[in-house]
Amino acid sequence: MTLRRLLTILCLAALVALCIDIRLLQLPFIDRKPYSRALGVYPDRRWPQYPHFIDGVRAHTKPGDTITIVVPAMAWDDYYSYAYYRASYILTGREVLPLVTPQNERLPQNLAAARYVAAFGVTLRLPNDVIWKGEGGTLVRLRR
Amino acid sequence: MTATLIAILSLIVLGIPITLAVDRRARGSLLLGMSFLYGSGTIFAVLLALSIVHIRWTLINVTAIALAIFCAAAVIARRQPATDNRQPAARERLHVFDLFTLLTVTGYSLYATLASLWEWDFIAIWGLKAKAFLEIGGIDWRYLESHWNTFAHPDYPILVPLNFDFGVLVAGGWSDRWLGLFFVAWGIATLLIVRAFAARESTPFFASLLTFAMAALAVSRYVGLAEGALIAFGSAGVLFVREALRDDDPVAWRNAALMLGFAANCKNEGTALLVAVILAVAAVSMFRDHSAQPRNRVTARLLALWPAYALTIPWLLLRAAHSLPTDIAEGSAMSRLMLRLPYTFQILAYLAAKLYEPWFWVAILAGILLVPAAARRREYFIFFVTAIQLVFYAGAYLTTPHDIRWHVLTSWSRLTGQIAIPIAYVVFLMLANSLPRGEDAPHAEARSDQ
Repeated sequence: MTLRRLLTILCLAALVALCIDIRLLQLPFIDRKPYSRALGVYPDRRWPQYPHFIDGVRAHTKPGDTITIVVPAMAWDDYYSYAYYRASYILTGREVLPLVTPQNERLPQNLAAARYVAAFGVTLRLPNDVIWKGEGGTLVRLRR
Repeated sequence: MTATLIAILSLIVLGIPITLAVDRRARGSLLLGMSFLYGSGTIFAVLLALSIVHIRWTLINVTAIALAIFCAAAVIARRQPATDNRQPAARERLHVFDLFTLLTVTGYSLYATLASLWEWDFIAIWGLKAKAFLEIGGIDWRYLESHWNTFAHPDYPILVPLNFDFGVLVAGGWSDRWLGLFFVAWGIATLLIVRAFAARESTPFFASLLTFAMAALAVSRYVGLAEGALIAFGSAGVLFVREALRDDDPVAWRNAALMLGFAANCKNEGTALLVAVILAVAAVSMFRDHSAQPRNRVTARLLALWPAYALTIPWLLLRAAHSLPTDIAEGSAMSRLMLRLPYTFQILAYLAAKLYEPWFWVAILAGILLVPAAARRREYFIFFVTAIQLVFYAGAYLTTPHDIRWHVLTSWSRLTGQIAIPIAYVVFLMLANSLPRGEDAPHAEARSDQ
């Protein structure tokens, strides 16, 4: 066996070994329930009740309604972006307006423009009519 | 789950006559793999066309159009000559490594369906668009144009969201629980195509070992994003171009062009891939062509890719017509480039440091260096395509409007995963076929210079 042949075989074996994903080969033989549970809640791990609240907002609004979101964390990277994107996903057909920009600038015009305010984990001090309450939040219409 | 499986099977059935219309001699794993890809691409085109003419998607009208395409393709396929001058497809003999491939795919199927899709980019981009489109039964341009929705990357092509929409149309309503099965299907399609190609170029042992090695590369970890589809269409396209350059085969050019066109409709990186292929084809045709008129050959080959251009242009036009912003191009990309150019070395060093699976790439480089020079020369196209794509990726990072570290950390591993299959395929085959027994492999001698 020449050196080149040996190196070729070693390189080929290394390439195959580096390409294989052992975790995929193991997956059929292990208990997957813990992974399933963890991934099921992964997107909402900080606020597990939030998607259920937004489901309730969807049930009490109709296509075309404008909705804005108020949550305990109003800084974009410190969780407002999650609340906004998650609400956008669940509330497709409605228009979801953010109250802060990625640069954390306030957008008061969106509060004025929205028909509904979905307040999760906070109490709104503005005059409002409660449309629905549940799952840790309140859906209100502001009195203008 | 049943509805999603029915949707996927429907796409395979839809794709069979289309595959045969393009390549009458497709059989076995190539036919099956290509059928799903053609079905997936065709249903995207159907939903896009319906949306353009403002016809609301329903299962009935989508099925009717798909059936019409099925029948038309079947008529075209029947008229294609059954025999031609091309080399016959190699008989694929099963090997024990195929069982390990099956086990890997089974593991991936279980992974992709562990829960409702959980990736953040599915919730904020790919799944969000599909869900928004389903609400109105078509592409919601108002949604894409809204400046509040720029986080959803409205400029991204929409083959994947429209495939999701087909799946949920069959299901009768939105559910993301089983959409992961689409990613299994794209991965399996890729492996079937790799298996068919490998069977023509190597022994059954190496062909099945190669497919097993490619199994984890063919299936995307990022379930819910467009990576899986891009890997499938992009890898198939590049491998078909390689075959077309080698055999000067018009059927391979057709397959290549259509696959690359669909890849361009998966992600912006797919469009970049098409450009990379164009440049690489031009380079190998110009510099490795010793005939009297290399320019004619370059022109002929680039013209052979016209279906790719035809498939790519509609979304580019729609994007421009609706002024959908591309974040990389926002502001002054040139100023950002000029600002960062002095730091190119540090940025490239950071990319090298954050390379996903670095030892894989070390093995690839070692393999390239080990094989005979003649074998390397035959694979210049794949080397050029891979290198050009890497340059494009580096260029994107140099001009990104985002923080470079954040952008690299959140995308580099996905990008390198997109380009892994073609380069790993050729390096594996060069190594395998350079072993003395490998010289007896099919087509080991029957290669022309590109």
